[in-house]
Amino acid sequence: MTTVVHIPADAGSVAVGAEWVAVAIAELAAARDQPVTIRRPGTRGAFWLEPLVEVETPSGRVAYGPVAPTDLPGLLDAGLLDGASGHPLYLGTTDEIPWLASQTRVTFARCGVIEPLDLDAYRANGGLAGLERALAMEPAAVIDAVEQSGLRGRGGAAFPTGVKWRTAAEAPATRRYIAINADEGDSGTFADRMLLEGDPFAVLEGMAIAAHAIVADTGFVYIRSEYPHGVRIVEEAIVAARTAGWLGTDALGPGRAFDVEVRVGAGAYICGEETSMLESIEGKRGQIRPKPPVPAISGLWGMPTVVQNVVTIASVPPILAGGPAAYAELGVGRSRGTITAQLAGNIARPGLVEVPFGATLGELVDDYGGGTRSGRPVRAVQVGGPLGAYVDEDMLELPVDYEALAEARAMLGHGGLVVFDDTVDMAEQARFAMEFCSIESCGKCTPCRIGSVRGRELIEQIIRGEEVETSHRLLLRLCDLMEHASLCALGGLTPLPVLSALRLFPEDFGLAREAAHVV
Amino acid sequence: METGHRRRREREHDETPLDSTYDHAAVEAVLEAHGRDPARLLPILHDVQGRLGQVPRGSVRQLGRALGRSRAEIHGVVGFYHDLRWEPAGRTTLRLCVAESCQAAGVRALVPLVEELVGCRLGETSVDGAITLEAAYCLGLCTCSPAAMLDAEVVGRLDESGVRELVAAARAEL
Amino acid sequence: MWSELRDLREGVDLGTPPRSGAPVKVEVDGVEVTVPEGSSVMLAAMTAGRAVPKLCATDTLEAFGSCRVCLVEIEGRRGFPASCTTPVAEGMRITTESERLGDLRRGVMELYLSDFPAAELQGGWSEFHETVAVLGVDSHPYADRANHFALPIDDSNPYFLFDRAKCIVCSRCVRACDEIQGTFALTVDGRGFASKIVASQDEPFLQSECVSCGACVQACPSHALVEKSLFPEGYHRAESTEA
Repeated sequence: MTTVVHIPADAGSVAVGAEWVAVAIAELAAARDQPVTIRRPGTRGAFWLEPLVEVETPSGRVAYGPVAPTDLPGLLDAGLLDGASGHPLYLGTTDEIPWLASQTRVTFARCGVIEPLDLDAYRANGGLAGLERALAMEPAAVIDAVEQSGLRGRGGAAFPTGVKWRTAAEAPATRRYIAINADEGDSGTFADRMLLEGDPFAVLEGMAIAAHAIVADTGFVYIRSEYPHGVRIVEEAIVAARTAGWLGTDALGPGRAFDVEVRVGAGAYICGEETSMLESIEGKRGQIRPKPPVPAISGLWGMPTVVQNVVTIASVPPILAGGPAAYAELGVGRSRGTITAQLAGNIARPGLVEVPFGATLGELVDDYGGGTRSGRPVRAVQVGGPLGAYVDEDMLELPVDYEALAEARAMLGHGGLVVFDDTVDMAEQARFAMEFCSIESCGKCTPCRIGSVRGRELIEQIIRGEEVETSHRLLLRLCDLMEHASLCALGGLTPLPVLSALRLFPEDFGLAREAAHVV
Repeated sequence: METGHRRRREREHDETPLDSTYDHAAVEAVLEAHGRDPARLLPILHDVQGRLGQVPRGSVRQLGRALGRSRAEIHGVVGFYHDLRWEPAGRTTLRLCVAESCQAAGVRALVPLVEELVGCRLGETSVDGAITLEAAYCLGLCTCSPAAMLDAEVVGRLDESGVRELVAAARAEL
Repeated sequence: MWSELRDLREGVDLGTPPRSGAPVKVEVDGVEVTVPEGSSVMLAAMTAGRAVPKLCATDTLEAFGSCRVCLVEIEGRRGFPASCTTPVAEGMRITTESERLGDLRRGVMELYLSDFPAAELQGGWSEFHETVAVLGVDSHPYADRANHFALPIDDSNPYFLFDRAKCIVCSRCVRACDEIQGTFALTVDGRGFASKIVASQDEPFLQSECVSCGACVQACPSHALVEKSLFPEGYHRAESTEA
């Protein structure tokens, strides 16, 4: 009898040696005449345990990690292939690892469990139930269900998904499109990448449901070039879905075609902004389009286009399958369902945590994250990517909730949390925020095109100790201008990390505390 | 598919011979594979670069003619995207992530070492043409920061010795 | 062609192209006006006699939304929408002047001026110069800074020249070439602060796909693209007193 061993093929697992582990297990087991079948799912997101090796046993999957190839002879001696408990790397039944067991996996239920391109396993684990239910419903009823679930866009803007679909469905048009934004450029985020690599069918299924709801025949998945593994897997998943008949001609019923194409970005953070992404898909410079019109009314080639983030669209199948009420029961306030927080930076237990909205930042950083990896105190956490505010320790009591964070002059963005210890220089972080904006600015609007460069120059003056007070005053004025006069969120939100760093850590800029409080 | 507000002027037939410094057939094959669809300009440019290691400046004329686009339009698109390059990269490309998560995990201290070992600054190609060193702004490998990509190979949890191994591997791939 | 294009600019520039939809009633600074559906807030303001400053907008081109000096306030809406790209809606109440708007517009002008040769401000008569005067900003507070003052002048075309130091990257030339002429000879090269207007593949105008129609020169609000005939003695950049 052959033993089934699971070793993640996710890029984040491979980057810490999963490939070597997979090769070594196969070789060592063969040398011992112990037949094994190696499976390569995505990752469960407990990256601090990667490479995580799971062995199928009669009582479920048993986990070991983090496993280095050099650990394997000892692990095999200790009975790894029987799921034995004698080794220090033994973690017990995977589903009972507290870090995972305490989460509410809805969108990421299959990620790391099944092989990404195994359509039978996808079905066996709840896949396609949502699409089947949706196709039995009128398009308008599907939109109602999505609206009732309270689902809001997970890319950062948190716009109600159902409202967007209704807008696109009701806009008069000869064609409509679905465009999935997989241009996940925020540092500290990897949820989209995990899904693309670990559960691509969920993304495609969500797209098919959306296509049925708004009556679209073509979809795009716009994936950044930094994700070559994701590109390959989604492309293969599209082929598999076509073969199985739920993409392509008659995908949504007789005469109801829907097909999907991958578009690969080419190194432009700004293409994560929806209108810039649409320009890029059309083969143009990724410059921002003014809104209105919103893409749901005039998107790709002037046609109504539903643009959704990867996590959002992958949340749709379980909403349809399990009913909107079950999803809406989770969460707090207007933030319904689950949030996939991503723990990164200087953190002891990095990874993906899917929990209902309302958990506090502190629960994520300390309880799940285990504090810093360096062991030094947490000094700052950047929440929501490079355009997100820095928070200090006192603010870790804030709940993960769009409205609560906005009130505290922070934002959730795409759910990334980057932890810094007390060696961080917050003036340098503020300088980088402006520099990043200047590197990635599309160059269309003046506050971002020129302002980001002036912002970097002003912070450099402050760091050099030149005219600190004057430069500080100018910087505040410039931030106000960028926030209120920019064309899009890149210029509009870059002041957030800068101002939060100034407000919370003025001493790093050579400023007195009271000087900073004018902010 | 045209979104321009006015009609595109019929271009006088451009008789200029194509630049002989690049492989016309390769570009033609890419255009053919994409059905000469101007809406597929980005995949076309990716594929041209994939085959030729660059988007040769001379190929812009060929691309424009085939796609019914001006040279200016193609030029503007290539110039916008940092991945697209007019000049070929080194034989291997090492992308070091220098965004916030990797900063928090100490990448700033590693940059000078990487630059010294490769022999050029971030954004440059080593004099021997072996390695192009690029700054990446997030590779999505934030759970194992500092992270890097050597061509399509991903590497995480970099420290000083990891950087030395990585650069050695980059050189060994030649 | 030259005189023809000049005629387009005669009379009042409404900022955005006129539309012909059903009548929509809005209020601009308390003045009620009716404009066709699809019109911009900028056009409504102009109709109400409440002209809004602008640089990247002109009524021969579709609205673009890049310069950000035409910001206004609209009752019930957050922030400061650009009047050129915001369409009117029935009953909309628009404010074109406030302390806050003035401050934001001056802030934008300061950024422009930080990348515009100071010596070229004297004696100029372009829309850019007019806007500088209207907003009452003639200097900026930024000290050591990156700029584009050293970019070369392209005087290859016999009729006009392009002084990139005075270019404000509003893309009016690119859009005029595309939208009015359908020639598509111009583009923006690069992005962000490095964005620069180029002909074809960053080559002299005369060698490019440019057909010398002059639409770009007509469209340029800052006289970066300018007729040579205006300088019978030859064109020279004004001596800068700045470092």
